[in-house]
Amino acid sequence: MTAASAGGEPTPAGSWTVRTRDRITRIVPPGQALPDRQPAYMSSWIYVFGILTVAALLVVVATGVLLAVGGVAWWHVSRTGHFVNSLHLWSVELFFAFMVIHLWGKFWMAAWRGNRALTWMTGVVAFLGSIGTAFTGYLSQSNFDSQWISTQAKDGLNAVGVGAYFNVLNPGQMLMWHITLLPLVLGAIVGLHLVLVRRHGIVPPIDAEGPDDVDLQEAGAL
Amino acid sequence: MRNGVVLMDSGGRYIDSGVIQISLTNAIIIVAMIVVFALAILLPFPGRGRRGGRGGDS
Repeated sequence: MTAASAGGEPTPAGSWTVRTRDRITRIVPPGQALPDRQPAYMSSWIYVFGILTVAALLVVVATGVLLAVGGVAWWHVSRTGHFVNSLHLWSVELFFAFMVIHLWGKFWMAAWRGNRALTWMTGVVAFLGSIGTAFTGYLSQSNFDSQWISTQAKDGLNAVGVGAYFNVLNPGQMLMWHITLLPLVLGAIVGLHLVLVRRHGIVPPIDAEGPDDVDLQEAGAL
Repeated sequence: MRNGVVLMDSGGRYIDSGVIQISLTNAIIIVAMIVVFALAILLPFPGRGRRGGRGGDS
């Protein structure tokens, strides 16, 4: 089997480009990645909090990039730096508030139904990873607050035996975790979560399951 | 230095009930989130009445 390339030359099916494209198409079929229509049951504000969480995360990352460019002295001394620092803090607050409301909504609609267990679990891991990322952010403020939090945290972390693997009293290590390691891990988990949401579709309400669900599955919504 | 003393004195107000101890600020935030959650379920979504069918082609 061959596929035609742009120049009309046949492309061998063994090409990694073709294999990658086929795999992507199998994971999220065309039209399901960015749908322009959704089931009627999604006409509720509770379904908005997932994308609100993503929007807040984008602001968190964008303001974090600006803080990284400006540096520690900038966010402590400059008025603009203070402003961006505050944007970073409050977008994180909103990120967690939206994420927890999203979690409540998905919990009460049992969103792991219909082969969506992995979607649910990636959400759980993203939530836990976000807590770790936010915690290293508190340690990276480079002020008395971060000193206080790190000295309190090291006792708790040592008590559970993970202090051998990282040191919350090491501001360089925690800053690198906060701006490089954890955002990369969290970004990958959130990306996987979103791909799974698009692959399996939004879970229908519990009382909507039944014969109608078959229609949705046939339409590719589930 | 004086500012530091003032800051330490204003350690925040806490709700203390048995084994539960929570700062008033955190309690207000949690209550506000519950209110937002309830409103998200109860408030009608714009355009909901205009839609016919379920349009479930995702």
